[in-house]
Amino acid sequence: MTLEIPAGTMKEIHLQGEQAYPEEGAGLLLGKLDGDRKRVLSVVLLDNQREEQARRNRYLLGPGDYLLGEEEASRLGLEVLGVFHSHPDHPNLPSDFDRDWAWPVFTYLITSVWSGKAGESRAWRLVEDRSGFAEEPVAIVDP
Amino acid sequence: MPKIRIPSPLRTYTDGQAEVEVHGGTVAEALEGFMSQFPALRQHMFNGQGDLRPFVNLFLNNEDIRHLEGLDTSLQDNDRLMIVPSIAGGRGKDLPAVDHSALRTNQAFIIGLSILAFVFDAPWLAGLVAVAMAIGTILGVPGFGFIYKGLLKPRGWVRPEILHDNPEPHRFAQGLGAVFLVAGVLALFAGFPLLGWSLVWLVIALAALNLFVGFCAGCAVYYWLNRLRVPGFVKSPPDQTFPGMRPKAKA
Repeated sequence: MTLEIPAGTMKEIHLQGEQAYPEEGAGLLLGKLDGDRKRVLSVVLLDNQREEQARRNRYLLGPGDYLLGEEEASRLGLEVLGVFHSHPDHPNLPSDFDRDWAWPVFTYLITSVWSGKAGESRAWRLVEDRSGFAEEPVAIVDP
Repeated sequence: MPKIRIPSPLRTYTDGQAEVEVHGGTVAEALEGFMSQFPALRQHMFNGQGDLRPFVNLFLNNEDIRHLEGLDTSLQDNDRLMIVPSIAGGRGKDLPAVDHSALRTNQAFIIGLSILAFVFDAPWLAGLVAVAMAIGTILGVPGFGFIYKGLLKPRGWVRPEILHDNPEPHRFAQGLGAVFLVAGVLALFAGFPLLGWSLVWLVIALAALNLFVGFCAGCAVYYWLNRLRVPGFVKSPPDQTFPGMRPKAKA
């Protein structure tokens, strides 16, 4: 399934990753599922809830963050499609830690931030038996 | 009947329903009923040991059940149990801290004593080195690490160099060295000096490659076996590190 994401929204995600650098930034992707299309229509930028020493290689969004995302989604008539987070100075591949904590169905959009500058983002989805991730192609669309 | 509220990533498994009614007098019973209704959910909610995964939060009427009686919390007819995700992740797991100064001290002693054994034609000394390496491998420490730990480090003569690294390949490398050295010593005692000393020199050369170049040949073999998915060789090389080379990330 292709993840469609407006250029401006992608920019917002990259900017947040750059601002959080050298720590990890994260947030929720809101949008609509239309058959084979996964359209991101809004994002919720959130604070990394991990303790300060861990924020360079870990992120955490707590239950309160998720509920905030669901509230915002229902206000906009959307649903929570997944999560985005940054990997400072690291490839945009999901780690074993990402896999251990992954929810099924959710899209995990990972952005590499190299020396403070956002690079490419790639989207991943946990495979059903939790053994790894399958890549979801990302299409940047004009709003 | 109590209701369970389902978060969006799990609705695929509940035919798109955001809320379902459940039976059960406790949270545990309600969950069990819920799981038997939608069995594909189980592996995402519970781990292999049957414990709730750490990222699954359950709120009973907006209160985390961890602050109530956990899974034993009782449920009333109009209760609403919410499954609320915690979302976590992050780039690669931090590898354990490995003190490379202890490893290097070990290599230096292996090299030094083995050369002395050759120079003075003392196979027993090479045998002693092999025994130290074998004991170290069994205990999971560098064979001559005790000299570093007990003398060199406390006196400040050798400074620790603590890197994020896998300890297992180093242990394997030392074990491999011990096997070569034992074979060499046995060959020496059996009257095959050329074969015996060649094996001793092989160990010296590989330890020197590690000490001076930072390339651990035994670790490279370990990672190679890992790539071939040989059981027991579960660790893969640290990120952005050539298999066997000393990693760069300081702990």
